Amino acid sequence: MPYKLSQMLDRELKKGSAELLILSLVEDQPRHGYDIGNLIEQRSRGRLRFNVASLYPLLYRLERRGWIQGRWVEKAGQRRRRYYRLTAEGRKVLAAQRHSWQEFVEAINRITGIEHA
Amino acid sequence: MPDWKEEVRRRLSRLNLEPAHEAEVVEELAQHLDDVYERSLKAGATEADAKQVALRELADADVMQREMRRSQKAAKEPLVAGGGRTNVLADFLHDLRYALRMQRKNPGFTIIAVVALALGIGANTAIFSVVNTILLQPLPYKDPEQLVMVWEENAKQGYPTDTPTAANYIDWRDQNQLFEGMAAIDVASFNLTGSGEPERLDGRRVSATLFPLLGVDPQVGRVFTAAEDQPGSGHVVLLSYGLWQRRFGGDAGIVGKTLTLNGASYTVVGAMPPRFQFPTADDEVWVPIAFTQEEAANRDSHYLTVLGRLKPGVTLAQAQAEMSTIATRLQQQYPLTNTDLGAVITPLHERIVGDIKPALLILLGAVGLVLLIACANVANLLLARAAVRQKEIAVRVALGARRGRLIRQFLTESVLLSTLGGLVGLAIAYAGLIVLKVFIPENISQARAISIDYKVLGFTLLVSLATGLIFGLAPAIQSVRFNQSETLKEGGRDAATGGSGKRLRGLLVIAEVAISLVLLIGAGLLINSFLRLRNVDPGFRAENLLTMKIVLPEPKYEKRVTRSAFYTDLVQRVQSLPGVRSAAVTTNLPLYRQGNSISVNIEGRPEPPPGQELIVVTRMISPGYFDTMSIPLLKGRQLTDQDTDKSPNVAVVSETMARRFWPGEEAVGKRIAVGRARSPEDWINVIGIVKDVRQMELTAEPAPQMYLSYRQYGFFDAQDLVVKTDVDPASMASTVRKAVWEIDKDQPVSNIRTMETILADSIARQRFSMLLLAVFAAVALVLAAVGIYGVMSYSVAQRTHEIGIRMALGAQTSTVLKLAVGYGFKLVVIGIAIGLIAALALTRVMSTLLFGVTATDPTTFTLISLLLIAVAAIASYIPARRATRVNPIIALRYE
Repeated sequence: MPYKLSQMLDRELKKGSAELLILSLVEDQPRHGYDIGNLIEQRSRGRLRFNVASLYPLLYRLERRGWIQGRWVEKAGQRRRRYYRLTAEGRKVLAAQRHSWQEFVEAINRITGIEHA
Repeated sequence: MPDWKEEVRRRLSRLNLEPAHEAEVVEELAQHLDDVYERSLKAGATEADAKQVALRELADADVMQREMRRSQKAAKEPLVAGGGRTNVLADFLHDLRYALRMQRKNPGFTIIAVVALALGIGANTAIFSVVNTILLQPLPYKDPEQLVMVWEENAKQGYPTDTPTAANYIDWRDQNQLFEGMAAIDVASFNLTGSGEPERLDGRRVSATLFPLLGVDPQVGRVFTAAEDQPGSGHVVLLSYGLWQRRFGGDAGIVGKTLTLNGASYTVVGAMPPRFQFPTADDEVWVPIAFTQEEAANRDSHYLTVLGRLKPGVTLAQAQAEMSTIATRLQQQYPLTNTDLGAVITPLHERIVGDIKPALLILLGAVGLVLLIACANVANLLLARAAVRQKEIAVRVALGARRGRLIRQFLTESVLLSTLGGLVGLAIAYAGLIVLKVFIPENISQARAISIDYKVLGFTLLVSLATGLIFGLAPAIQSVRFNQSETLKEGGRDAATGGSGKRLRGLLVIAEVAISLVLLIGAGLLINSFLRLRNVDPGFRAENLLTMKIVLPEPKYEKRVTRSAFYTDLVQRVQSLPGVRSAAVTTNLPLYRQGNSISVNIEGRPEPPPGQELIVVTRMISPGYFDTMSIPLLKGRQLTDQDTDKSPNVAVVSETMARRFWPGEEAVGKRIAVGRARSPEDWINVIGIVKDVRQMELTAEPAPQMYLSYRQYGFFDAQDLVVKTDVDPASMASTVRKAVWEIDKDQPVSNIRTMETILADSIARQRFSMLLLAVFAAVALVLAAVGIYGVMSYSVAQRTHEIGIRMALGAQTSTVLKLAVGYGFKLVVIGIAIGLIAALALTRVMSTLLFGVTATDPTTFTLISLLLIAVAAIASYIPARRATRVNPIIALRYE
């Protein structure tokens, strides 16, 4: 695969999956932006990285759609931070996206012949 | 730790986010960068490296901007149908807050702009409320557009609309098909005696049909019945609301009570509602006209006012045609009296508001012009301020602000200004109306009802909004229509001085000068007319004259001898009062009551054919009249106490009568007769000639006049007493009145006024329009001067640098002065040229208001132009002078 194409595919994949990643990360507990960005980087072992310039517009977009909700929270001795939590609607969207992502991955796997370990 | 916020803000600035939202985003992102930075430090990076890492997070700023903008736009999509409006409203509220902040920041600017606008809008509101009440409000009668006045027309004798005779009225009334009805009205006055002080009341004899024709019902009781409109039927009377309240305390049981009017007993049948007036507000009592047979047959005395109501659907032209047919028939039927006598109808509204209408319309136009000048002024101020704000605007446009949005914001600012101006203007109008009501001639219908109603408020609101758009649009467009790179190049020093900004300001000054010139010339012409009017010699001297009306009631003073005795006694008593130089009685004071003309024949000449009668304004006087009034005797002798009903009849004639009736002959010694001389005793000897007196109005050339002795002739009642005093005439009023009551304690005395007041009142309308137009022109002049001054100050301030260099290089003060004043002067001269052309075209509409000057009077045009040039020169000299005083060092540092 020529490099150019690989990079493009990478970007598209990232974009398509980014929403799913964020929604998943705030599913169990509210998290602030730095936390979300950090977790994506750590859990993907550095393979996926969002910088500020791309992460926050995404967060705002999800918030506008009403899937997550940001709220300023002040904790003792800390500066206030904006925590995002999943909304009821976001939960439905997450379920649906998870489902279609799995179907997508399975379909790709079947075609490319990569088997689960 | 580095200040991330600044970094973030810089990258977001293009987005033009809502400030509160932007702050939150900045805070959140900066925090994230803090965390990244700290993590790097903990991992052992140097501060510089850590900063690099953190900043890399913002590397894709354009991606962020694109993404953010997309999400912004998504948010702006209305959530529900029609929700888009909330954004317009939000924008508007935002703009309004911004505008308010701007005004608070520049109180000086705001005050000047608001005051200029308030003057303009206030003047418009005040004049509009007058126009609204007098011209636009329908008359307070049922279907007033169907009401007309019917007049005799005798243009050949100089009476285009004359009061008809009773016989003609009756023929018109009985022969027409197109009128629902007609009513006749005759002026009458009544002495009310009995309980309380005797009082003289103005009233009317009216046909019983009058009130039904007007469609007005009485407040209490009823109007007259047809039976009461017959001679010899019982004396009945209707009272005005004012009289009912004032004299009878609004007594609910007034109907059926009796009053003594002119010594006879009348039964009250009703009282009219408040504000009812026809045709003027002075009338307080109405009685049935009840023509006697003799009166009904009279075709010689022209004294009635006739009202008609057209049948529904009948046009003025149709009714006029029918009346002309009837009049032609009457001409053939009664050639002796009706030759050349037509009939003409005029709409009632036109008749009532007629002569004040042109003045009001011209005033309305004038205040419109004042407002335009105010607009030009404020537009100029805004332009100057826009120039200062040019940099702000350039930055905002660079950040992606749409120009349409900016224009909207500027317009919000200007409309806010004009609305403030409107509010203050309303207060000015309210105060102005109080003053205006003092000057408005009292005899104008509805003058007392002038007020600010919802229509006026609507007008003010509309004018305010329109004003804001008019003066705001040009500066708004101007301020966003600039070349961005040029603004940057010029370093923001004089961003909007060059090019179109300067041109626009110049044009505004030219317009201001031109408009003020038109107004000033208009006012100048009126002032000139008024001065000439004041200088007209009325033929008598008004100083130190006290006048009052003393109408003797018929039954008590039925015989002329009794009346003569009363007057002789009265004049003697008054003359003997300390402070009185002389006293006299007359049938009509000059310039006060019109009418009382009779036709005469000259001895030895054939009777003039019908339509060419010799008509003479006639007064019955007591012998001291000419001395009291200071009317100079030119020839012969005056009337004396020896001219009585036992001696030959005598007359003193005016110079015009002498000249016109006996051209090239000696008038004294000639004989005339009133009507046809049937016996030798009917001849009247002309014994003297006096100077002409302006009897009817100051503006009219005097007609032939003659004076007879009240002891010899009584066909008109003497009723005016005139007293020449040594002291202030008004202070003698009660003393003179007491003298009257010493003769007859029941005799009413009314209309106590000085002759100077009568003279002044006779030109009240002219004074009214002259004063108002002069005030408006003065306001215009001040506004224009302020405008010129403002533009000159601004342009000089912009050139301080240049002037400083010139001065430093040794330029003469006069050279620099010439340079600075020259620009302003050029604008003023162009403005005056345009204004002169406009004035030539526009003052023509005023010609009916002018007296003794033409609408293009060269003197007025020249003087006013010079005045404006002088004012403009001063307004541009002051700032220019200041510029030459600038220390060159400071001027250069100004950079």
